[in-house]
Amino acid sequence: MFQSFNPKTFENTQFLFFTGKGGVGKTSTACATAIHLADEGKKVLLVSTDPASNLQDVLEVELTNTPRPVPNIENLDASNIDPEEAAEMYRENVVGPYRGKLPDTAIKSMEEQLSGACTVEMAAFDEFSNIISDPAIRNRYDHVIFDTAPTGHTLRLLQLPTAWNEFLEESTHGASCLGPLSGLQEKKELYEQTVKFLSDKDQTALILITRPETSSLYESNRSANELREIGIKNQMLIVNGLLQTHLSYDEVSSAFYQRQQEALKGFPKGLKQMLVYSLPFVSYSLTGVENLRYLFKQYTMPAKVETQSQQENLQLPKLSSVVDRFSESQTRVILTMGKGGVGKTTVASSIAVGLVEKGHKVHLTTTDPAAHLEYTFSDTFDHEKLSISSINPKDEVTAYKEEVLSQASESLDEQGLAYLKEDLDSPCTEEIAVFRAFAEQVAKCEDEIVVIDTAPTGHTLLLLDSAEKYHKELTKSTGEVPESVKTLLPRLRNPKETSVVIVTLAETTPVLEAERLQKDLVRANIDPECWIINQSLHATETQDPVLAGRAKTERKWIEKVRDELAQNAAIIPWISEEKIGYTKLKEFIIN
Amino acid sequence: MNKLEIYDPAMCCSTGVCGPSVDPELTRVASAIFSLQKRGFDIERYNLANEPGKFTENKAVTDFLQEKGPDALPVILLNGDIVMESTYPSNDELSEWFDIDTEELNDRPKNNSVTIDISELK
Repeated sequence: MFQSFNPKTFENTQFLFFTGKGGVGKTSTACATAIHLADEGKKVLLVSTDPASNLQDVLEVELTNTPRPVPNIENLDASNIDPEEAAEMYRENVVGPYRGKLPDTAIKSMEEQLSGACTVEMAAFDEFSNIISDPAIRNRYDHVIFDTAPTGHTLRLLQLPTAWNEFLEESTHGASCLGPLSGLQEKKELYEQTVKFLSDKDQTALILITRPETSSLYESNRSANELREIGIKNQMLIVNGLLQTHLSYDEVSSAFYQRQQEALKGFPKGLKQMLVYSLPFVSYSLTGVENLRYLFKQYTMPAKVETQSQQENLQLPKLSSVVDRFSESQTRVILTMGKGGVGKTTVASSIAVGLVEKGHKVHLTTTDPAAHLEYTFSDTFDHEKLSISSINPKDEVTAYKEEVLSQASESLDEQGLAYLKEDLDSPCTEEIAVFRAFAEQVAKCEDEIVVIDTAPTGHTLLLLDSAEKYHKELTKSTGEVPESVKTLLPRLRNPKETSVVIVTLAETTPVLEAERLQKDLVRANIDPECWIINQSLHATETQDPVLAGRAKTERKWIEKVRDELAQNAAIIPWISEEKIGYTKLKEFIIN
Repeated sequence: MNKLEIYDPAMCCSTGVCGPSVDPELTRVASAIFSLQKRGFDIERYNLANEPGKFTENKAVTDFLQEKGPDALPVILLNGDIVMESTYPSNDELSEWFDIDTEELNDRPKNNSVTIDISELK
């Protein structure tokens, strides 16, 4: 149906961006491509800019933001730009020279100001621009491959150069609201260069990865359009994880196959315009150099067949048990967290529907910039106890700007307003606006249960980090602080009010990501209440050799979740149809 | 001509739009100063988070920080002497220092042009 993906396509392209929603196989495809090109004798640099990167897990090597050779692979260097770390380096550069010269309290207050979400985002972007424009890197490597962040975050990252440039051009008062990068004027040229490289088809190719699933294709189409709009036109698509054959007598196998084929029938028109490749669904996990090499050879089975284990499948509680517990404990706020693509939206929706069925009043909302709640509830549903909403960053920014300007118009003249308007056009405003909207949603739990399907890991953490920072700042601020913001963090930390549900798949990357997420949450004094393992093939009885092979690889991850990570664990078997609409979501809970 | 220096606490932007809420006082000061600077008056504003160097270059400011800590910022210097701390100058004070009509800083928008859409009249 589609031609097989061949990295040879990029022989003459220096910068390759692999992007797509978390969990579609972006990192493994980027790694496999990097290894393939390096094996052919090309000098390759592989860089991850994902705040929740798992490049290290896939390559099985420790990485930092300085490129280092990957052991056992000639010609391949890799680095991992951890935005938190980049921000820390940035902070130290600014603050370091003043230690001892200014009082410790002043140093501390500088550090605090430079630890906000804006700084983190900007520091990461800065690193990314530096790599693209560094002549030493351009000369040393034939290919620089970026394994980028989940879609929403990447889009913002890629949109920044345009946003900054417009902002700098229009700014008449020296860009006062660019605190974290006060030396920005000097960077103008650098950022312009970055934009140029990104939109130059001879230098840059953008490879979108998608799953053969309706929601994933829909998402890819949206990304493709948005990227095209900001001038990145050299795009291609990889449909990853395509099941090539199936057993007609095996229910799961044929459903799995049919579902993929159905999804491909609805292949979005916009995506058809570009080069489309496919990669097979494989029975082995895509970690380690050897397995990554098999991928482009189109092997669906490993070269060595492992001895069949006779053990029976593991048994874990079902989703309904989680809903029962929430119903009894009267939890007010439920957050589903985890890497994008693990089915957070579906799990959040199912929990919401389950609680409505138990007679509770529920509000379901999402802060995921790439969410598709409307799609999930695309049937007309009519239930007075359930309301849904989504936090759309663009709308929030508009509303926030209007609110600020209308408040200020009482005390400011025209010129003052124009001045304020300029500051409000700063990209930082988005973080603030989204954060406030998040706080408002949480505050609704006074009279109903609020289920929040949060953004992918990295973004959510930035959001929570802002919460902490603002919480500290409240004591100083003289402006009106909304009640919802004041009560947010204490509420998120109170286990009687808030439960965090970590959603994962029984696969290497999602589990390791989720483990890191849990650690970060615990550090922020938030203890996740339970883990849900979604779409488990292990919990089915498939005989399909490829699917059964994958089901076996799930075992150790299920055990790890159950025995090491989760206070409570539940499992949702792979289900043969996508649960769209209220009635279908209800089946999740009943089964 | 008088020279005014404002040493701000560590903050993201001088209009204060980057906080959990907008501080109207910061917005007033920012726009009043913007308007004075545009008329060519000698006013400098430094933010501890971005320009710590300015805080160490000025002995009066360094001493002030050592003694009272960053929570006592902003500190306002007129011709090199500390004239105010922990608060910003009012528009009256600004107009006195720069010898201009208070009205010019306090004035509400005068030139709110009225737009008439002719198509609606048809």
